[in-house]
Amino acid sequence: MARIFLFGNNIDTDVIAPGGYLHLPLEAQKVHCFESIYPHFSKRAKRGDIIIAGENFGSGSSREQAPALLKEIGIVGVFAKSFSRLFFRNAINVGLFIGTYDSDSTFSDFDEVLVSFENEEIRSQNSVLHFISPSGIPKDILMAGGMINFAKKVIENEDADEDKLTG
Amino acid sequence: MIHNRRTSAEKIFSRVTGKDVKAGEFVWAKPDLVYLHDVLGPMTIEAMKRIDNGNVRFTGQIVVVNDHIFPPKDVTSSNNEKNLVEFAKNRGWIVIPWGEGIEHTLLIEKGIILPGMLVAGTDSHTVTAGAVGAMGVGLGSTDMAALISIGKLWFKVPETILVKVHGKKGKFVTGKDVVLKILSILGTNGANYKSIEVRLDKECGLSQDDSLAIANMTVEAGAKTSIIMNEAVNKVRTDIISDYRSDYEELDLGMEGMVPLIAAPYLPSNVKPVSDYEGIDVDQVYIGNCSNGTLSDMRETAKILKGNHVKAGVKLIIVPATRNIYKQALEEGLIRVFVEAGATVAPSTCGACAGLHMGVLAKDEVCITNINRNFRGRMGDSSSKVYIANSYVAAASAISGKITVPGE
Repeated sequence: MARIFLFGNNIDTDVIAPGGYLHLPLEAQKVHCFESIYPHFSKRAKRGDIIIAGENFGSGSSREQAPALLKEIGIVGVFAKSFSRLFFRNAINVGLFIGTYDSDSTFSDFDEVLVSFENEEIRSQNSVLHFISPSGIPKDILMAGGMINFAKKVIENEDADEDKLTG
Repeated sequence: MIHNRRTSAEKIFSRVTGKDVKAGEFVWAKPDLVYLHDVLGPMTIEAMKRIDNGNVRFTGQIVVVNDHIFPPKDVTSSNNEKNLVEFAKNRGWIVIPWGEGIEHTLLIEKGIILPGMLVAGTDSHTVTAGAVGAMGVGLGSTDMAALISIGKLWFKVPETILVKVHGKKGKFVTGKDVVLKILSILGTNGANYKSIEVRLDKECGLSQDDSLAIANMTVEAGAKTSIIMNEAVNKVRTDIISDYRSDYEELDLGMEGMVPLIAAPYLPSNVKPVSDYEGIDVDQVYIGNCSNGTLSDMRETAKILKGNHVKAGVKLIIVPATRNIYKQALEEGLIRVFVEAGATVAPSTCGACAGLHMGVLAKDEVCITNINRNFRGRMGDSSSKVYIANSYVAAASAISGKITVPGE
């Protein structure tokens, strides 16, 4: 079972990963994640938990520390009505699942739910939320486990193609 | 829609991909130039090592600017910068000398970013490149690592919002007010994934530095990139700007009657006339960053400060964005005005704008500034508050110690 942490609209990257600690290793940044709106988040969230938020999650900076910290803390999925472009790309790249949804979420904070990535739904005893997974290249990157593995594959394939041409 | 009419984004992505691409298409593209800074740069090189042992297939220019935490604030930031420079030098990348300035302003000033280029940087404010008609796109560190390692990266060709600005600007109104007005209309995600193209009519009387301020903050509406055509200072480049009646949404913005604006906590789109917040006590005034640390901002600030002194108890920190701007401000006697007014002139760094160092806010402090973000805790403590306005407003508020409409 996953637990839900609910957030509102326009959750920006300064709130997720405050500027003053960005130069430190992720482990040292963890305790500051969400500190201005949700103190001790890194201690309260457990591995396997999820975030459900409103519009424009992750607005602001290009700092990859934002999704990387959430993943480090153990969050396995962020579900929002919409994501800011940079957070979207960065989350996919670090292998943090993100999904979008249209209908209104009826969940409460800390609800225990089952997340089915296959059926694209989050289900509690009395409520269900359908979400949409990334598609196209972002999906391929997620399936590879993130951009590091994906980029390795692209390079391998291109080198093989070159060998074919030159060989 | 007639087939061969193309938007600016379609033109630039078509050029770099060698194909006729349309908005909404996913493409693999090689930017002309990429740049890294000292916060995401170290993470980029770590990711490059994991992807392909740090090998470089990207054949465009790669530039490193240590601007975010410069001079370094602690051993960790200093080591980060040292390692980044070593890694870059070993690969023949361009390493900008220490302390030259804040990357987005600097690379335009140095002529490294040129009109028509596709530029990618490890920073959301890479959109500033739009000020000279280049398409700047922000990326995270692993994206940048993939780009440099593979030689290209996937992009979605953005859709376009064309903003036509006309009418003569009023006294104490600058490019900052134009972009705040745009943000108030579009909201914080009204341009998400899109390109904001701004046409500034000749009669607006806006400068190149105003263009820079406008381009810089388009990202606060979620924009992926921006292109500014300022008819008062730029030659119209039909090879860069969107064709008439190509595929764009249009927004019309008149400058008649526009007054200095302010973005109140905690969103850059939370915009009202400055007069709505007049009289709020401020603890700090911070002038200068990648959007508004230009020579124009220095001149506007000096114009207000000359012969005046900062209110007792208020911290005034002024950051010329580049060493060259600092030098010109020195030659024009502006630095003397700042110092005599009781300001602290700081080195060119992102500094407290991103809550990094050099002017970080304490508990419950209120700051008025010409930077680009006022998110919760942006410049320091979670309880501090940031109001964004143009340099005239910030400087006038430093003298009175309260949010002030300039000229009153």
